[in-house]
Amino acid sequence: MSDFTTLDIFQNLLLAARWTILLSLIAFVGGGIVAGILILLRMTKNSILSAFIRIYVEIFQGTPLLMQLFLAFFGLPLLGIEVGPWTAASLALTLFTSAYLCEIWSGCLNSVPKGQWEAAKTLGLNYYQSMVHVIIPQSIRVATAPTIGFSVQVVKGTALASIIGFVELTKAGTMLNNVTFEPFKVFAMVAILYFVICYPLTRYSKYLERKLNVSS
Amino acid sequence: MSLVSIENVHKYYGEKHVLKGIDLKIKKGEVVSIIGRSGSGKSTLLRCINGLENHQKGNIVVSNLEVTTNDIQLRRLSKECGMIFQGFNLYPHKTTGQNVMLSPKLVLGKKDKECRELALECLKKVGMDKMFDQYPNSLSGGQKQRVAIARSLAMSPKILLCDEITSALDPELVGEVLKVLEDLAKEGMTLVLVTHEMNFAKDIGDRVVFMHDGKVWETGPSDEVFANPQTPELQNFLSSVL
Repeated sequence: MSDFTTLDIFQNLLLAARWTILLSLIAFVGGGIVAGILILLRMTKNSILSAFIRIYVEIFQGTPLLMQLFLAFFGLPLLGIEVGPWTAASLALTLFTSAYLCEIWSGCLNSVPKGQWEAAKTLGLNYYQSMVHVIIPQSIRVATAPTIGFSVQVVKGTALASIIGFVELTKAGTMLNNVTFEPFKVFAMVAILYFVICYPLTRYSKYLERKLNVSS
Repeated sequence: MSLVSIENVHKYYGEKHVLKGIDLKIKKGEVVSIIGRSGSGKSTLLRCINGLENHQKGNIVVSNLEVTTNDIQLRRLSKECGMIFQGFNLYPHKTTGQNVMLSPKLVLGKKDKECRELALECLKKVGMDKMFDQYPNSLSGGQKQRVAIARSLAMSPKILLCDEITSALDPELVGEVLKVLEDLAKEGMTLVLVTHEMNFAKDIGDRVVFMHDGKVWETGPSDEVFANPQTPELQNFLSSVL
């Protein structure tokens, strides 16, 4: 038998959880930036750009995240770009996140009543002034809860990066299981750690949703 | 010289012909009430005057500016022509004061201090200066509508378009909004009202325009039109609402 005590297993998982959190943050922040750029491009009302963004979003929403990771990890080297697990996982998760955030945020922008646009227009504001001063501040209120809710999906999505050899929580769990042969104990701990990361996010998102419903 | 001149205006929503050749001139300082059944095109006409809707044929000129689809022209027009909506459309994330100050700051380029003074002055006119720091969702419907009027006044328009501005209000709140309109009319503001308040149209309005089937069916001085309607359609309409 191995020399790993329960505490050893737990400590190792905890260390690996750092990388789960870091990868989630990269994906979320990177995805948010890309989504912001996509929405800005869509605002230009250029039909070619809009079509490109629609296809982009549909591809990333309509294919499994695992395939996106495989394509980033195995596909980019075929094009002569060498990528390690870090780069591949960050890239794939960023693009995946950006596609969903782009949809969520566009929906929130569209949810602002038409009358707000009309009021701003009759009061002389141009398109960008209306967006910045009237529409975006109102959509941020609507967008916060679903955005944080989606961040839970990103955290769980990072588990798939274990398959391309990225050592995060799930991969560490697999490795520890291979030496301890105690799958129930190891994976129960893995699950608990994921839950500890995600639960506050879920609660916070629920809280924001309730607060929003009361105030509007 | 008329402030608003509408000539042979036609408007289609797809196949549907909603305005069928409207001719209407409005003089400075006039209070014109547009009445008619729902679907007669009265709100559409109002929204064509400030370019919220495009007309397909004919001409609309408001204080020497032709109403086109050109955004820059429409922004010029917005300084001449304010609009009040049935649903208030106040900015819910801004206080009463900020609602009024936004356009003078962004569009007229006024300094913060000037904007504040202007906002206070406009809010005072509608009796809402005490509520400067309140958010719209803490106000009653009548108060919201008065703030919306103040917000328009801050752009010092020559004409105010009012689109059924009392229809969403509880009956006991209608009076306070009509009172504000009455004061504005006395000060010489040009008002074009799409309204269901027949008594208000009769008492304050200089002229009534009855629209039916996308046309100006009958028009004339308020007292005459109400006392002595000429067409059977208007007689019918009046007997159903009065």
